[in-house]
Amino acid sequence: MDVTNRTDTSPLLDAQGLVKHFAAKRVVDGVGLQCRSGEILGMLGANGAGKTTTLRMCYGFLRPDAGKVRIDGIDRVNDPDGANRLIGVCTQDDTFDTDFTVRDNLLRFGHYFRPRPSGLEGRVERLLARFDLARYADAKPDTLSGGYRRRLMIARALVHQPKVLFLDEPTTGLDPQARMSVWELVDSLRQEGLAIVLTTHYMDEAERLSDNLLVLKEGRVVSSGAPRTVLGDLVGEHVVVLDANILQAGAVQQWLREEGIGEPTRILNTWQIALDGAGLARFSAAFGELRFEVRPPNLDDLFLQLSDNTL
Amino acid sequence: MRHYLAVAAWQSWAVLNRHMVVYLRNWHTAALPPIFEPVILLLVFGVGLGSNIPAFDWQAQNVTYLAYLAPGILAYTVFMTAFFQALFAAYIRMHYQKTWDGQLTTQVRLEHVVWGEALWAATLGLAYAVIVMFVLAGFSIAGWLDLHWSGVIATLPLLFLAGVAFAALGLLFTAIVPTIDHMNIPFYLVIMPLGFASSTYFPLESDNLLAQAWLVINPLHHLAEGIRLLLLSGVWSFHLMAAVLLLGLMILILLPVDLRLLRHRVLGEG
Repeated sequence: MDVTNRTDTSPLLDAQGLVKHFAAKRVVDGVGLQCRSGEILGMLGANGAGKTTTLRMCYGFLRPDAGKVRIDGIDRVNDPDGANRLIGVCTQDDTFDTDFTVRDNLLRFGHYFRPRPSGLEGRVERLLARFDLARYADAKPDTLSGGYRRRLMIARALVHQPKVLFLDEPTTGLDPQARMSVWELVDSLRQEGLAIVLTTHYMDEAERLSDNLLVLKEGRVVSSGAPRTVLGDLVGEHVVVLDANILQAGAVQQWLREEGIGEPTRILNTWQIALDGAGLARFSAAFGELRFEVRPPNLDDLFLQLSDNTL
Repeated sequence: MRHYLAVAAWQSWAVLNRHMVVYLRNWHTAALPPIFEPVILLLVFGVGLGSNIPAFDWQAQNVTYLAYLAPGILAYTVFMTAFFQALFAAYIRMHYQKTWDGQLTTQVRLEHVVWGEALWAATLGLAYAVIVMFVLAGFSIAGWLDLHWSGVIATLPLLFLAGVAFAALGLLFTAIVPTIDHMNIPFYLVIMPLGFASSTYFPLESDNLLAQAWLVINPLHHLAEGIRLLLLSGVWSFHLMAAVLLLGLMILILLPVDLRLLRHRVLGEG
């Protein structure tokens, strides 16, 4: 695409100390994040963790009660027009203009930016071709399938050649094939130098796409960095999987309490217990006679821990 | 002040442009109501009902009911068009079509969306009023009306101002009605007192102090009476100045309130 390749490593999105209250509740509490050219930052957290509120402050829907957001060095409070010119936003809900066709949606959006996108009509045709929307160019958006609607939403967010792209749960509700095609598009946008901030509930999506993760819980950042680092920080090195209906269940629970781990995460009839290396050695020593599996942790474990408030 | 300055921002006019493009695509069907409605009203009430009403004294001159009604329809058209465009059409764009949410992902901010809606509603109200003027001109040519046309063009900015003010009132209800089913609330709260008790369709003369006070503060009353005096007598009356003041006051007060309420409704803030 047409994103200028940056040679420096200064962040295109730089948010510091974001705070937001709704009524008396502090829903975002001092969140900071950065995203550079050619990087995807995945934001994770359970419902109510503050992901969407943080994202909305970054793209200007909401005004932070405290903190700063800079887009390529532009302070969004001092120069909202300048900041908004550099960002593209794909919201979770479809918000295309149902009074216009697919092509006219893209053209119409070009009118909402100054300076106007250069060569708008040619760019729209290229976007239609790239996002496989050309055959639907004269159709109304609400006649498209879910996957093509998402494509249109992402294409629309790129009409004005932004440097930073916000994707709020871009594949929610899509079938696996449509999800993978969106992943490929997002990955190609990263390769072209866009800084992309992504929120998702799909852990495989976050794991496959994200260069860095930002994990939120109750409005605060509990971990950030490369996915493996975050998993190590929050989940541990290993996950022990064992039958929850074993005779020694009580003894295992007692051991977990003594270790300060608390209640194990239950999935159907299994317990999933996150342990570091030393913890696994102690568990094996204590319950050598038990049959259990040990696997590396994944983001599903992280998400379950966040949801269960067991961190 | 920032809220008021947004009226001049390019984003507000880009929003207006979007609504105009959509409207003009359907101009051939959309233009029928504003043409036929005044024709029907003038024929049914002005000519039909008016034939049973003897000419009466109004402002020291003897007028037919058709002549009395014609300027009232002009004012009423701006009022109804702008109010309902900012109420129903804006609500549908905001709530069902998510047009606002899409616009807000660009350089357009909420103050531009709100001003764009108000400016578009006023533009449409003015356009419909101009159509009514052409209909009245047709009645004049037919010899059914004897109107003073000099100076009427000068009322166009006032009609636009009225459109913005009534749109600001419509947007207030767009911001607060829980669902589209609650749109009957503004009908009873606004259309009945503001629209009907306004000297548009019939002279409202009363010794009752409350009724007199209501007429003093009702901008539609001053708008209708001002245009009526201009069209029937060629007189520039204090009603026109009163209308400017009251309509300007409505805009000054209502637009920031609309924005605050819509910021809460659309963005979840405040």
